[in-house]
Amino acid sequence: MQFEWIQIPYALLNLFIIINFGLLMNAFVAKIGARVGRRHGIPIYQNYLDLIKNYGLRSSITHGVMFYLGPVFRLSGGVGLLLFVPTIYGSDMFSNFSFSGDLILALYFIFFGTLGMALGAAESGHPHAAMGVSRGLSQVTMAELPLALAVFSIALQYQTLSVTEIVAAQQGGFLNWTLFTNPLAVAAAMLSFLGSVMRPPFDVVLAPQEIPIGPPTEYHSSYLALMQTNRVIYPIAKMVIFMSLFFGGATSWPVFFLKIFLIYMFAVFIGVVFPRFRVEQSIRWFLIWAVPLGILSVLLV
Amino acid sequence: MVIIAMVTGFILILMGLYGALTNTNILRMIVSFSVANTGVNIVLVSVGYMHGRTAPILDNAVPLAEASTRIIDPVPQALVLTAIVIGLGITTLMLAYAYKLYETKGTLDISKFSELKW
Amino acid sequence: MVNALFIIIIGLGTAFLLGLLGNTRRNIAYVFMLFALTAMAWIAHSWLWIFTIDAHSRVDMFTAGTAPPFAINLRVGIVETVLVLLVIMSGLLSAVYMKDALLRLGYKSMSVLLVFVMALCGIILTRDVFNLFVFFELAVIATAGLLLLSDDKRALAAGFKYLIISQLVSMFLLLGIIFAYHATGTLNIDGMAEQSPEMLKGIGSLAFFFMFMAILTEAKPFPANGWALDIYESAHPGFSAMFSAGMAGAASVYAVDKLLLIGGQEWLPVVTVIGLLSFVAANLLALVQTNDRRTLGYSSIGQVGLILAVMGQQDILGEHYLFIAGGILLSHAVAKAGLYWISGLIQKRQLTDWSVLRGQPLLIFAFVSFIGMLSGLPPFPSFYAKWDLVMMLASVDRLWILGFILLGSLLEASYLFRWFGYILKRDIIKEDAQHLSLASYKLIVIFIAVVIAWGLAYLWGELSSYNNLLLAIPILFALSFLLLDFLPTWIKNTLAIAGMVAYFFIAYPSYNPLELIYAIIFLLGGAVILLASYYEKGRRVGFYPSAMLMFAGLTLLVMAENSFQFFAAWEFLTIGSYFLILRGKYSEPHALLYLIFSLAGAYLILSGFALAAQGMIPFSLESLSQVAQPIAPWVFLLLAIGFMTKTAVIGLHIWLPGAHAEAETDVSPMVSGILLKAGLFGLMILLMNMGKQQLYGVELTYIMLWLGALSAFLGNLMAVFQEDAKRLLAYSSIGQMGYALFGLALMNQLGWLMALMFVINHYIYKSMLFLSVGGVAKRTGTRQMYQMGGLIAMMPLSFIAVLIGIIAVSGVPPLSGFGGRWIFYNAIMASEYRLPMMLIFISGPIAFLYLFRLIHTIFLGQLKDEHRKIKEAPFWIILPQMIYVTALLAFAVVPGMALHRVDNYLNPFFAGQGLNWDGWTITSNYGYWSPVPIMIVIAVIFATLFMWLLFVNRKAQKVKQFNIVYSAERPYRPETTHFAWNFFAPYRKAMGFLIQPFVTRFWETFADLLHTLADIVRRFYTGNGQTYAVQLLAFIIVIYLFKVGY
Repeated sequence: MQFEWIQIPYALLNLFIIINFGLLMNAFVAKIGARVGRRHGIPIYQNYLDLIKNYGLRSSITHGVMFYLGPVFRLSGGVGLLLFVPTIYGSDMFSNFSFSGDLILALYFIFFGTLGMALGAAESGHPHAAMGVSRGLSQVTMAELPLALAVFSIALQYQTLSVTEIVAAQQGGFLNWTLFTNPLAVAAAMLSFLGSVMRPPFDVVLAPQEIPIGPPTEYHSSYLALMQTNRVIYPIAKMVIFMSLFFGGATSWPVFFLKIFLIYMFAVFIGVVFPRFRVEQSIRWFLIWAVPLGILSVLLV
Repeated sequence: MVIIAMVTGFILILMGLYGALTNTNILRMIVSFSVANTGVNIVLVSVGYMHGRTAPILDNAVPLAEASTRIIDPVPQALVLTAIVIGLGITTLMLAYAYKLYETKGTLDISKFSELKW
Repeated sequence: MVNALFIIIIGLGTAFLLGLLGNTRRNIAYVFMLFALTAMAWIAHSWLWIFTIDAHSRVDMFTAGTAPPFAINLRVGIVETVLVLLVIMSGLLSAVYMKDALLRLGYKSMSVLLVFVMALCGIILTRDVFNLFVFFELAVIATAGLLLLSDDKRALAAGFKYLIISQLVSMFLLLGIIFAYHATGTLNIDGMAEQSPEMLKGIGSLAFFFMFMAILTEAKPFPANGWALDIYESAHPGFSAMFSAGMAGAASVYAVDKLLLIGGQEWLPVVTVIGLLSFVAANLLALVQTNDRRTLGYSSIGQVGLILAVMGQQDILGEHYLFIAGGILLSHAVAKAGLYWISGLIQKRQLTDWSVLRGQPLLIFAFVSFIGMLSGLPPFPSFYAKWDLVMMLASVDRLWILGFILLGSLLEASYLFRWFGYILKRDIIKEDAQHLSLASYKLIVIFIAVVIAWGLAYLWGELSSYNNLLLAIPILFALSFLLLDFLPTWIKNTLAIAGMVAYFFIAYPSYNPLELIYAIIFLLGGAVILLASYYEKGRRVGFYPSAMLMFAGLTLLVMAENSFQFFAAWEFLTIGSYFLILRGKYSEPHALLYLIFSLAGAYLILSGFALAAQGMIPFSLESLSQVAQPIAPWVFLLLAIGFMTKTAVIGLHIWLPGAHAEAETDVSPMVSGILLKAGLFGLMILLMNMGKQQLYGVELTYIMLWLGALSAFLGNLMAVFQEDAKRLLAYSSIGQMGYALFGLALMNQLGWLMALMFVINHYIYKSMLFLSVGGVAKRTGTRQMYQMGGLIAMMPLSFIAVLIGIIAVSGVPPLSGFGGRWIFYNAIMASEYRLPMMLIFISGPIAFLYLFRLIHTIFLGQLKDEHRKIKEAPFWIILPQMIYVTALLAFAVVPGMALHRVDNYLNPFFAGQGLNWDGWTITSNYGYWSPVPIMIVIAVIFATLFMWLLFVNRKAQKVKQFNIVYSAERPYRPETTHFAWNFFAPYRKAMGFLIQPFVTRFWETFADLLHTLADIVRRFYTGNGQTYAVQLLAFIIVIYLFKVGY
């Protein structure tokens, strides 16, 4: 695979699809949540309104350079993550810039946005932001571990680090999915997934009650808009990886939408059932439940 | 005769050592060492002694030709003489030290001079 | 040539003649005495000339005109000449040194001094046992006399104790002599030696035992040596110098050596055991000493013990015997005399009182030379001697002896260098400093000893079968800074940088790709860090010799071809870095810890090499691959532990945090960014040549894998909880080195590439971070991160450096740290070991915690009031950081530039499982990585979004610090608003149990035990002369029982 200029419009198209899908899915999920709680819920287009409103706001203050750059880092992280991984298997149009690097690139690039955002939030000088970061980092170090182990496990299983090749190996019937060929790894990864979508029981990072929305506390207007955009893209980008590694990938957009939605629903479902963990509790939880699964998966593969 | 001298010498040495190691008075120690030294000297002489021979002085009584068979070995005797002289030197020095030590502390108890330790 | 008898005659004659002058003309008497000593020295010197230049064989001199056994004969050979010269020189110099005391006590003291020197010469020269006895008694009497020169009233008691002991000694000696005479019919030592087999039966063996124990007692074996310690402690330092160098070091030891001619093989083990026991015990007991002269006394006893142990090895040392024993003996004599002389300049007797020397760089240099000599560090004779000794011992499997010798040496170095730390770091009391008596004649004596020390160093270098270390260009370059130390810093700095860069380009063609990477880091990398040193003003005394010594060691290490060169380089870099680390304000205990661990590691390396060589000289590093099976894993183990001490693997890491954190601003990056790589270099050499080794069926590289993983994990975890920025970085280094070790231990090509990636990256970012943090600490006056905050606006360049640094450390794309991670994943894919990898997996993300904390608590958050007017770090500290930023970016884009050639170079070692470097994309068997596209994609996305934000948010205005949404309240002060202290409290709750300081506690307990043991054992020396006598008797009886039971 080599770079061609045509890939840029393709990538932009891909991004456009994902953003729209994300906005709708988030609203849909919120609506489901509301209906479960016997509320009416937001209209399905609400996220569009919010986004446009925030981009339109002009309250323009800044706490400094890093504060200013924080959302940029954050969104770059999300967009980059999306674009470093092929979205649709077998499609040249939607394999993005995956020639830059393999799975490892994607895994480590996850931290790019996190780090940048944390830095930006920290420059605001707001203690809640710093607290949120402290909690978030503490939790994410342990939450990401089972995922890393699972990824290593399946890399061993398929003897490759290339996402495309891993998806290729799962083609030909759903029994070829990693879900069935390496259930331990998938279990570990899905538990890890819970920790990274900022939903209960692992949403203490944003903790609306004690540290109103955590790291992004000081962000508003177009900064917030950028971060909202990311909040749309980033989970999907991440789920693309999950989908590709564990659930056979997607060969077409409908399959893609369905699989992403189901994966997301997994986290939503757990989230509405369980109450919130404190940070040290969630660390221990991952250490006790998820990490051993990951280790087993690596040892047994 | 040799045996007696040697046994006497060793008894003196042991007595001297016993005295030197049990008496805490410096002067008594010095005396004990003198006793032991005497013992050593007796042993020295007794080792060199050969029964029935004469003193190693070459004069008319012992002609040069027969000297090697008639006199006893002169070396131990020479050693003893030297040892006595040196022993005297050491004893004197110890006594001088004892005097000086007494001057500093007004006591001759060896165990009182133990500031230097560990 | 002059008959050597004249040495005795002049000594004795002048001693008598001085009496004629009386006390009214004591000045003249003093001159006469010096003249006599000079004449004696001249005679000895002329003999030295005859034996060395003319290569004359030894000469016997007969008294009374007949040959032995009918008369006494004296013998002069090369050994005798050297020892006599040593005795006379120590006498002469001490006579000069003790001028005041000698003139005060008058001609009698001068006579006694002459008699003392003469008697010692007699002991050395004579071949007659009874004559030996006489000279010993003369020496005793003279000692008792010279003790009175001391100002210390307690010397009197010490003298009396010595007299008691000498009574016992003379008794045993006389009894022994007479029975030996009875058994052999001769008093001549050589005569007895000829009849030794018959003599050592029956009564003759007891006779020999008596003589031997009597003479041995004069060499002050442990534990029958309390009296000697009391003498050392209380005598005039000038006399102690003579007593230690001449009496103990030369005369007694040589007398023992002569008696061993009679005792032969059978008695060598006895000497060995007694010597080793004295060496280890004395150095152990010295650990708890606080009195300087008593410490030196212990050290003296230890050194003599070591010489005795060497004597016990003469059966295997062969022609090296003199080289080894002489090297140790002369080192001991010169150094100990020198130290005693220095002690005479100082009024108070605690080791810590030596801090008054601090203002005297020359005296400090003298002190360093002396303790270096005692500790057997290069380039001194004891170093060459110890090397040869260890090689020989290992080649005949006398490993216990080797072990004890190294243990004793380590203990000795510990307290000597602890003492050095006191000098440089302890408080100076003003009045004491004024009382430092710097009489020029005393100083001259000391500096003559220094000159002799370095002269001997040169001589031993020439005599050794290896290269003379003093002629190695890097070492010469480093030492030349001693002479240039008067120049201002910027000149020296320029010279240093120019020298290092020039040397790199001169040596460039000789490096292979692997060495080249290290050479670049050591030499060019060092030069970049040195740019920061331009910031320092004034002369910065001592910095450049130390730094250059370290760099010289590093340079030589890369070029080393055989084990000797390697080890010498290793020692050089250890010493140099120790001095550097010690320069930090509060680094005294940490520098000491560093040195002790490093030396222990070095000794392990030494034994490893010795075991591997099995007598092969020189032992090239490549020959490590040919080490035969049963010992190969042990060699591997020793060398690996030695090197891992330097890389601060977990368990051996406790020296690192303090040493790196407390060092000066520009020293921290040197010792962290550069020095740690020395250990990795050693490991690479080791693994490359020895490969995988198994010990009792355990794969040793597998253990290293675990150690690397554990270090990475725990190092990172500990870094998370540090409040001190530099300590945080230091712990992070432990983690990073763990990664590198892990990569090496994987034993596949990708693992090695990853390790090299870490070598390069760690150099760049750790140097950069240490400089930034150091610059910040310089400006804020604290290293506690929570006391900083919001400095981004004040110190933007430092911030950028830290930002780039932490992105690189954490491995986030697009910077070069990611390359390391990518290679790591590919490397572990190819390896069959999975469990230790889990730890590495865990430790990766932990790095984020401390890295974020580092940048957040310092640069972000709330600015403190006292920092509002702070300035950016000095230009010279910023400059290298900016160079590093550039280097990091460049290395991130084109890693192949550095790694491609090494990859090819490694191919033959690992059967070519390397990477494919064609085009932009680097591919492995498993995946691919294109640094340039990554960089471009990220940059384009970032730039686009940034433009977009600028567009939608173009009028953003900076608001004030407290203008934040604060839950309907108002922030009160920056201190209460800056969330920084104990930043990861929840994490500590969850994971804190893992970082209980077990290792620290273990080593502390170990040190405590040693000290307690020493403190208990030394109470054995009750100070009562009578007890000492009992101990001597008991000692003799015990030895007898052992010998008989043997």
